[in-house]
Amino acid sequence: MTAQEELGASRVAPGDGVRLGRTRLTHLPFVLPPVAVLVFFFLGPFLVVVMMSLRYSELYGVTTGFTVSNFVQLFSNPLYRNVAVTTVEMSGLAMVAQLALALPTGYVLAHRLGRWEIPGLLLLVMADELNPLVRIYVWRLILGRDGLINTLLTGLHVVNEPVPWLLYSKFAVVVVLTVGWLPYVTIPVYAAMKAIPKQVIEAAADLYAAKMELWLRIVLPLCAPGIAIAIILVFVPMFSEFATPVLVGSPSSMMLGNSVADLMLEAGDWGTGSALSLLMLCLAAGVSVLAYYLGRLNQSH
Amino acid sequence: MRAGTLPTDSTQALQKDDRHDGARMARLVRSAGRGLARVWEKTSQAGPVAWFILMLVVVYGSFLPLALFSFNDSIVVAFPLRGFTLRWYSEALADPGLRQALGNSIGVAAAVALATVVEGTLGALAIVRFRYRGRSAVTGLMVAPLVVPWLVTGIAALLFFNYLHVPLGLFTVGIMHVVVIFPFVAFLIASQLTAIGREQEESALDLGATQLEVIIYVLLPQLAPVLGASAILAFNWSFNNFVISYFVSGFQELFPVHIYSMLRHAQNLPVINAISTLISVVQVLLFYLAWRLVRRTGVESGAALLGGRGL
Repeated sequence: MTAQEELGASRVAPGDGVRLGRTRLTHLPFVLPPVAVLVFFFLGPFLVVVMMSLRYSELYGVTTGFTVSNFVQLFSNPLYRNVAVTTVEMSGLAMVAQLALALPTGYVLAHRLGRWEIPGLLLLVMADELNPLVRIYVWRLILGRDGLINTLLTGLHVVNEPVPWLLYSKFAVVVVLTVGWLPYVTIPVYAAMKAIPKQVIEAAADLYAAKMELWLRIVLPLCAPGIAIAIILVFVPMFSEFATPVLVGSPSSMMLGNSVADLMLEAGDWGTGSALSLLMLCLAAGVSVLAYYLGRLNQSH
Repeated sequence: MRAGTLPTDSTQALQKDDRHDGARMARLVRSAGRGLARVWEKTSQAGPVAWFILMLVVVYGSFLPLALFSFNDSIVVAFPLRGFTLRWYSEALADPGLRQALGNSIGVAAAVALATVVEGTLGALAIVRFRYRGRSAVTGLMVAPLVVPWLVTGIAALLFFNYLHVPLGLFTVGIMHVVVIFPFVAFLIASQLTAIGREQEESALDLGATQLEVIIYVLLPQLAPVLGASAILAFNWSFNNFVISYFVSGFQELFPVHIYSMLRHAQNLPVINAISTLISVVQVLLFYLAWRLVRRTGVESGAALLGGRGL
């Protein structure tokens, strides 16, 4: 069947969307496979988590009867409260540090690098293609007792003894989190900076004497949507970090992700672990909604 | 300024000399000013460049000691360096556990890349090329795996497979990798579909092609570069994935999980340095290849490549 033969039969009004063509192709073969995979292997698991969180749990998922005691335990046990505080503290610090680094970087990338803009962007993005575990591990070689920084400091006689708190500490976790997720903060900030017309910055620079004022009153508000996206993209995953505290942290720098992993794999308490997973999910949703409104609030300025 | 002065007598000559000096001075001051301005311009240009280079050092600097130590002839990973050796590379490539883990990871990643591109193409067509009730629900469903932390997805999958009595292994790892990676690939392909526009499709349909023919002969050839890049990225993301693999791999070894357990023992560190350096170089090359493929599609989709993995 050549196209010519079918020409007459296939005449349809232009712009008729899906109905174009001789045989109308149904959307089902395209919609069903992805939806089936997601419903079965993504929603299905969460159904099991919800179910588990509401049941008495013996070891490794053997359950007896329904209860809310898993959630009660999460809120009454001071252990989880302390871990939650540490988690907020460390990921909050990392987030602030990331924004402090990403705002100038995004601006430079969007407006000051000229023809190096795209190569620069790619170089930043490429960091994410490297193995995340390797990216965490390499910091041991920098921050460790015999690492680069301590070797330099003792070699230059800045300190007599290697600084011990550089590695296996909260400091190390914050540093590694900051650097590890930095590209994800920089890219949305860059996109927002890119959307600011050059003339706006130049005009503002002509009218305002102080650079500080230019940043606070022009650049930052215009960047708000990018900052909001950065927070959604990065803050929540940092919350659920699990490898970083294990590899470069200390017992006092364990995060909620570690609590969940321990409950699941070490303690075998799948009920409490499921409840904590659900709480983290709610937290993720909460932060996303908050950041979304933060972005919109500033945009209406 | 000099053109206006015509010396007639000695006084005038003297004056002229004076004025000449003044003019020279002014010229000097002015050129000094210009020079300063140029230096200022240069530094204000150099400032941003220096800042950006500093950021690259922050992000990549830690890989320098990794590469150095991978060639360092000592089992102790500490400064000062001892001498050059390729021993750790040959040990890494001969290590049976590491080989097994690498083989598993590469096999899973290849299967995931294939499945992801197929599912991603279907998903992209489903969200941008058809109109039907519930399309926004389908889009929402595809966004969900991108915003849920991987840790939570991994744990949910562990409970799920346990509940259904599915034995954990490479198969469960592959399935869950597809679940978290294909939506991103779908959005990448969808952005390219939107960029292509519908004119060619509509002309093809007007000329009598079936929709299936349109997809095979009109859309797929234009999507080929993006599909190639998607396959490369999906391969790499699957290979890199630690959190989900950790929870659903059971007794099967995968590269990141294996490295994670090797890190407990200090005598493994030189081998880890060598294999990490090697893998990183390969990953940089893969990324470059993916970028070459999508370069012509424009900066936005090129940049869109990047954003999806770590969620």
